[in-house]
Amino acid sequence: MTTTVGVESSTTPPPGLAPPQRRLPLANTIFCVVVVSFCIIPFLLVIAISFGEKIEGAAWRWSFDHSNYLRFFVGADWPDTRTTLYIRRLWFSFYYAIIASVLAVATAFPFAYVMSRQSRRSQTLWLVFLLSAVSLSEVFVVMGWDILLSNRSGLPMVFKETGLTDWLKTSGWFEVLREWGLANPRNVRFKPTDFATIVTMSYLVWPYAVILLYPALARIDNSMLEAARTMGAPPLTVLRTVVLPSVRLPVIGTTLILFVFLLGSYVAITVFAHPSRQTLAVSVYDSVRGATMNAPFGAAQAIVLLITAVLVLLIVWMIGRRTEALQ
Amino acid sequence: MPGVSLQQINKQFGNDTAVSPTDLEFNDGELTALLGPSGCGKTTLIRMIAGLETPSGGRILLDGQNITDQPAHIRRFGMVFQSFALFPHLTVTDNVGYSLKINGVGKEQREQRAQELLDLVQMPQFGKRRIGELSGGQRQRVAIARALAQQPSIFLLDEPMSALDAKLREEMQVELRLLQQRLGITTIVVTHDQREAMTMADRIVVMKKGQVEQVGTPDEIYNNPASLFVASFIGKANFINGIIRRGTVIVGNNELATADKPGFIDGSSVTLFSRPERCRIVDNTGENTMRGEVTYVRNVGSLFEYHLTTDIGPLIIEKPNLQGNSPITKGQQILVQLPADSIKTFPALAA
Repeated sequence: MTTTVGVESSTTPPPGLAPPQRRLPLANTIFCVVVVSFCIIPFLLVIAISFGEKIEGAAWRWSFDHSNYLRFFVGADWPDTRTTLYIRRLWFSFYYAIIASVLAVATAFPFAYVMSRQSRRSQTLWLVFLLSAVSLSEVFVVMGWDILLSNRSGLPMVFKETGLTDWLKTSGWFEVLREWGLANPRNVRFKPTDFATIVTMSYLVWPYAVILLYPALARIDNSMLEAARTMGAPPLTVLRTVVLPSVRLPVIGTTLILFVFLLGSYVAITVFAHPSRQTLAVSVYDSVRGATMNAPFGAAQAIVLLITAVLVLLIVWMIGRRTEALQ
Repeated sequence: MPGVSLQQINKQFGNDTAVSPTDLEFNDGELTALLGPSGCGKTTLIRMIAGLETPSGGRILLDGQNITDQPAHIRRFGMVFQSFALFPHLTVTDNVGYSLKINGVGKEQREQRAQELLDLVQMPQFGKRRIGELSGGQRQRVAIARALAQQPSIFLLDEPMSALDAKLREEMQVELRLLQQRLGITTIVVTHDQREAMTMADRIVVMKKGQVEQVGTPDEIYNNPASLFVASFIGKANFINGIIRRGTVIVGNNELATADKPGFIDGSSVTLFSRPERCRIVDNTGENTMRGEVTYVRNVGSLFEYHLTTDIGPLIIEKPNLQGNSPITKGQQILVQLPADSIKTFPALAA
């Protein structure tokens, strides 16, 4: 009751007092300058460049040429031939990012939940550990996984040496792995596969997933879980009916953040994905910095990637609002 | 309605003893209050009864059946938590119907039962609301309705009033008591507020440092405290230190007669206990009378509290406010009597 009174009195300012100035004009100006110079101008530049014209054997020049976009969607030789190469790359960008972000959140969730129920001390230790894991660069992590999964020295060798490969062959699982592309005629192999790509990408964002989920999970009042138990809910029902619904929005939010982050993955894709299954991020880099030196086309690819990502986020947001309204 | 009995139940947290081996009976249809200062083990005890804490030893029987190893979700004792622990993602109706939903009761039946319970706690029109839209008192009513929805054999409340303000707390105490009597459900309430325990309980269990100090009706506990701790924890009291000499108690130059004659040997130190409202203001000297000067008059509305300095030390006495103003003022000299039957004698605490 006291709190309600407090809220009411604080929302109605006493008469005769002007509402306090919200921001300093100087701070406002600095904010605007920063946003314009670091976000809006570079973005507009990329849009402008995407309409530029590539000069063979040289750089490019300003133009208003939509052939870059045409090339993206139907190929340079259209209408004679039609290629979906770049649309496929766009698709792979989303394919890896969606699966890897969902996988990271799905595996980080139980961990973060158990962690949030531990003592303060062990929670702190885990968070410090995870934060230090975040400090590892993408290159470093991918290098580690590269060694772990490489066909000569990594897990495949362990499989072979321990006899696991032979066991797989006799038990019939080897054929299944071959169908999934995870084995060559002699041994299991992980490079290049979607599996290795996705696992590495998940691993890269996993600490972020825990750190992003943790505050919401830690805020769940323990007595709420206990109340559910005294009403007849076994542990899994508590998780399904109390924990998950109370962290629905943070879980969706975390997945989206990781998804957007993973759309730009570069190193993991170049190392683990099959060349025919590489993403737009790799292709953008190749166009801008790689052999072709075609900045306008790179810019066009980046713009398409960005717009598609925004569309996906909008759709998820709209679905979220719809389910919210239904409840 | 079945009763619960605890046999040698105890709980250790590492090297700390939260509850020493305890035997307790909670009778059918009675409301028992577990009362004590914080850290006395009362919450651990109720959590063991709910199944939220595993006892380190001993047994819990429900109606003669051993339920010590049953998890909380099998026992299904309704419990109201200090924070109310309502589910913010559900409406009031869905909160109340939660236990029915997870136990497979259909939507229609669930909503009907929820409505009955909301009627019972006098919140019939609040079913569609969200928890965030309710006041503290309303949340408590919903928490009570939710715990009762599964028709539990035992109803547990852990500090149910501590999140409410003083006025609402007193109203809810009476209301909860009436509801409990109407349903005739065996109820255990944990509280640190002796007024709350006195208001609601059939029986009070006073606890201190993991041990039961006294079990009794509110009257027994108030009038015949078993120890100095109980006497000081329940209500207001005067404590006077003295020495036993030939059946009377010597306090300074005064000699006080007491009605209870426990077997103290001559020369033992004792502490006398007397309730402020049992002390009398008298006109003539007599047994156990002494002179006192009024140092402070406290107006509590329904009664006056007089703080006195007397030959036997400071005393507080209470008189009902019958005329609307105090007949005695600060600085006045008065005669006070401590009737012999109002005094209880306890061995003095070792200094």
